[in-house]
Amino acid sequence: MAASIQRGRLPWWGWIGLVVGAAIMAAPLVWTLLLSLKNNAELVGNSGAALSGPYTLENYVAILGNDRTLRWLLNSVIVSLGTTVGVLVLCSLAGYGFARLDFPFRRTLFTLVLLGLAIPSQAVILPQHQLFATLGLHNSYPGLILPGLITSFGVFFMTTYMRAIPKELDEAAMLDGASRFTIFWKVILPLTVPAQSTLAVFTFLGSWNDYWWPLISATRSDMYTLTVGLASSQMNYAQTSGLGFLMAQAVFASIPIFVVYVIFQKQIVRAMAGTAVR
Amino acid sequence: MAGLELHGVRKAFKGVQVLDGVDLTVAPREFIAFLGPSGSGKSTLLRIIAGLETADDGEVILEGRRIDTLPPGDRGVAMVFQHYALYPHMSVRENMAFGLKNARVPKPEIDGLIEDAARVLEINELLDRKPGQLSGGQRQRVAIGRAIVKKPKLFLLDEPLSNLDAALRLRTRVELAQLRQRVDAGVIMVTHDQAEAMTLADRIVVFNDRRIQQVAPPMEIYSRPANTFVARFVGSPAMTIIPGKLQNGSGHAAVRLGDGALIETAISRDGLPPGERIEIGLRPESVRVTRDGDVATTTAKVVLVERLGERSLVYAQLKDGTEITAEDSGLSTARSGDEIGLKIDGAAAHLFGADGTGYHRQDA
Repeated sequence: MAASIQRGRLPWWGWIGLVVGAAIMAAPLVWTLLLSLKNNAELVGNSGAALSGPYTLENYVAILGNDRTLRWLLNSVIVSLGTTVGVLVLCSLAGYGFARLDFPFRRTLFTLVLLGLAIPSQAVILPQHQLFATLGLHNSYPGLILPGLITSFGVFFMTTYMRAIPKELDEAAMLDGASRFTIFWKVILPLTVPAQSTLAVFTFLGSWNDYWWPLISATRSDMYTLTVGLASSQMNYAQTSGLGFLMAQAVFASIPIFVVYVIFQKQIVRAMAGTAVR
Repeated sequence: MAGLELHGVRKAFKGVQVLDGVDLTVAPREFIAFLGPSGSGKSTLLRIIAGLETADDGEVILEGRRIDTLPPGDRGVAMVFQHYALYPHMSVRENMAFGLKNARVPKPEIDGLIEDAARVLEINELLDRKPGQLSGGQRQRVAIGRAIVKKPKLFLLDEPLSNLDAALRLRTRVELAQLRQRVDAGVIMVTHDQAEAMTLADRIVVFNDRRIQQVAPPMEIYSRPANTFVARFVGSPAMTIIPGKLQNGSGHAAVRLGDGALIETAISRDGLPPGERIEIGLRPESVRVTRDGDVATTTAKVVLVERLGERSLVYAQLKDGTEITAEDSGLSTARSGDEIGLKIDGAAAHLFGADGTGYHRQDA
């Protein structure tokens, strides 16, 4: 009895370990936040000044007054949301097709999807670049969104999840006079909400943090996403705009990620624990 | 006009024949039980009627209209699935309304139908709950309710009681019997539980080996089994079937068993197949353990005594090693290894030809 109660508790040294670990993880974030709240001039030559006041929001005011940063933010929002919605639609449809429909070469196609998991995006970047250049899609939202929609993992994930839903539900719906689309839309899709929210969170985070493809596809600064824009700021404006402004941009860029994490914390933890299905 | 007619229904899965030319006619409002072992094709036939499987050949006609060419939702049938198949994300009310909405029934009418069904099934309190919040028995009622509101011409029940515990199964069996009085439709129930079939059905269809073996009312199935399969499958414990030799003569048939015992049956000698090889079928209640003063037909060695309270079942071996099941009183003194006398009621015996066909006394 005593042992079973004890099992859930952490010993004191465990707590110390967790606190130290959390402090190490949080320190850079806190440091970034403190730097972003300092006047740039004070940080020149001594970044340690961030440890003491006075603190100011002037860097954030500057960001909000900077059209370019707001434009990058808007681009990131459009690209990330567009990619997420597109991935959910395509992967749900593909998952339903692979899980429920009987069509020629289904197994072969699914094997090809699985093979896609083994191909790193870097391996196809040159032909992809060439293709988008030929189609004239660089420096456009479709150009930034479309490559993100091709996700073997998403198709595999949704297929696996939908296969676990009893076929009796489809059959009951058929007897209830539902069309194939009604079965998909009103019976199967609502049951995949846990899988979809997990997929949505990972797709959004992946798209928001993506640096590689936007760097190649968006060559005009007005089409930069936040990651590419901020990186370009570091190279070109760090000396003139100052460390405080740079860190404020970093914090600013993280806010949407933070919000997504707070809202979908449960799904993220569940997915990380490998129990997303059911 | 017949309720349901099946003509020459055939079905194979990947080259394996599952149903081989099934013909059946069901009267309107008749309660039919499909009874048979696993893999006998009974569930496949139910699914063909429902439209969830397509027959390779044959016709399904419901109230004069051919339905095997129609999608499941247009056939006028409703099905209660073995695992209920309630939509987990919908409330009980939404589950019941789903089919009606698809049929574009006006909302006030849907509400009325749901209220009526809920009252009959006593699930009014559950209408706003999700299936996950219901017990097994409540889910079963909701599944039945979902079928009732559609006012189908035919109810299809796929092992509806198999997921319930023993007590609930008995109660639900009674409720199903009451239900069929309230609905103006035929019922076909698939089951492998003969007690369910015997209790509920007007007629039982016994399936085995891709074919219908017999279609008859429950007691006829029990007392006049068409063949050795039906004889062994229906009745618990199973009928003992012993090979014997048909004796020459006229009038009623007499059979000599392997141990030399002679059994005079009440089955006419006329109409039996030629030749002396025959099998005799004996229900346990027609083989009694003798008591003092009784004249034994034969003797046997007790293998096992199963005491059931009001009676005991004695599993024994005849002298030639043939196994036989006999009945004794609840206070049976027989023990394993005992030599006992058996009195066989030849008038209650059944005969089976070499091809398994059953022969019975006229008035059985």
